[in-house]
Amino acid sequence: MTTPGGPSTALHRPGTVGEAVAALAAEARAGRPVELLAGGTDLVPALRTGTRPPAAIVALRRVLELRVRGAGADTLTIGAGVTYTELAGWSLSPGLAATSRVVGSVQIRNCGTVGGALGSANPRGDLLTFLTAAQAEVLLTSEDGSRAAGLDDFLSAGRLPGELVTAVRVPRPSGPQTYLKIGGRQAAFPSLVSCALLVDRVRERVCCAVGGVAARPWRVAEAERLAAADVDWSTGTAPAALARRFGELAAAGVRAASPLGEDPRHPLEYRVHAAGVLAARAFARCLTARSAPRRESAP
Amino acid sequence: MDEVQIRLRVNGLERRGRVEPRLTLADFLREHCHLTGTHLGCEHGVCGACTVLLDGAAVRACLVLAVQAEGREVTTIEGLGTPENLSPVQVAFQENHGLQCGFCTPGFVVSVTALLRDNPDPTDEEIRAGLSGNICRCTGYQGIFKAVRAAAGNTP
Repeated sequence: MTTPGGPSTALHRPGTVGEAVAALAAEARAGRPVELLAGGTDLVPALRTGTRPPAAIVALRRVLELRVRGAGADTLTIGAGVTYTELAGWSLSPGLAATSRVVGSVQIRNCGTVGGALGSANPRGDLLTFLTAAQAEVLLTSEDGSRAAGLDDFLSAGRLPGELVTAVRVPRPSGPQTYLKIGGRQAAFPSLVSCALLVDRVRERVCCAVGGVAARPWRVAEAERLAAADVDWSTGTAPAALARRFGELAAAGVRAASPLGEDPRHPLEYRVHAAGVLAARAFARCLTARSAPRRESAP
Repeated sequence: MDEVQIRLRVNGLERRGRVEPRLTLADFLREHCHLTGTHLGCEHGVCGACTVLLDGAAVRACLVLAVQAEGREVTTIEGLGTPENLSPVQVAFQENHGLQCGFCTPGFVVSVTALLRDNPDPTDEEIRAGLSGNICRCTGYQGIFKAVRAAAGNTP
């Protein structure tokens, strides 16, 4: 028998967000380390290796409020308990769907959740790269009330003690979106370098983030400024040369960021180069005239 | 102790148990239910040997805690066929050399059963993507691929 992790662990099984944050607060007041359990795809291996040894676990499956997706006039709200499999077919967000389709294997997509991706905050996490490009807001609730945090602030500051991620909110798409990644066997390894690109034809801008190079998913601001200025917004297209320049600026931008830890098999210079290639490719898929009708695509 | 009572259905039969919250579903099936067809290979969510169906969805039983299966339906390899009455997927694996040592086979059969239920006529690319969450160190996958192709043709 291989029951993972040290001494015994208390289990909370709340049925509502209110009960969940009450359980979190009680554990925090008692000074006991507590972990949230959603799909378990990150937590269970960490329990086994002992890297996350909680005195208590708050299991969130019964909290049905967390499994809701909603569409407002300008935004989409995705509950923290929504799985990748549920997102993979979501027509309202082709970019989120494309990203979710290339996460892990089907067994992982059936379990892994949006809230889990935010809670684990793996800097190579596929969803985080997309949500960074999408300028997502993270919705949090504690016993003291609810708040919204920009994703970047959330990733740098994390959850406060007693807080629960309830949902993420992204703007409704207003143009082509894509997500590209490279790495080892997708089903077995996290992506090495990833790139999400969203075209906003209403505000006439491109939002692009790169994962796996900087310490967090990184918006490539210089490249975005080039796109805003030089894309033909009357048609939503750009010449192939602009895609190349976009990729160069994206690589230069992410090179300047505080880097993710060094990895001897995949040196930083290689990952910077790959990020530029992916950014140029994503730009071309969404904006060059030949492939402009394509709204989203897997790598 | 912080053991909790759980109740779930496994292959159509109700099962109850008192478990430590960190007990995995794989260990619950093997140790409490004595259903040892669910194999444990890597135990960190990569090899797919422990794949079972949880409310019909393929999941890795080494990444699911037994308490997460409370109130739900689990289908293991033992629930798909018997030695006397193999499932169409099991027959196809047998007839197409889809197994050699057999260690990974339960996970493959469960994964393929879910794949063909959701997509009865998959393309070659869809078959390969559907198999990607399971690792086999013997066959080179060609026999497994042929078995899925054959099972797709024979599944009503």
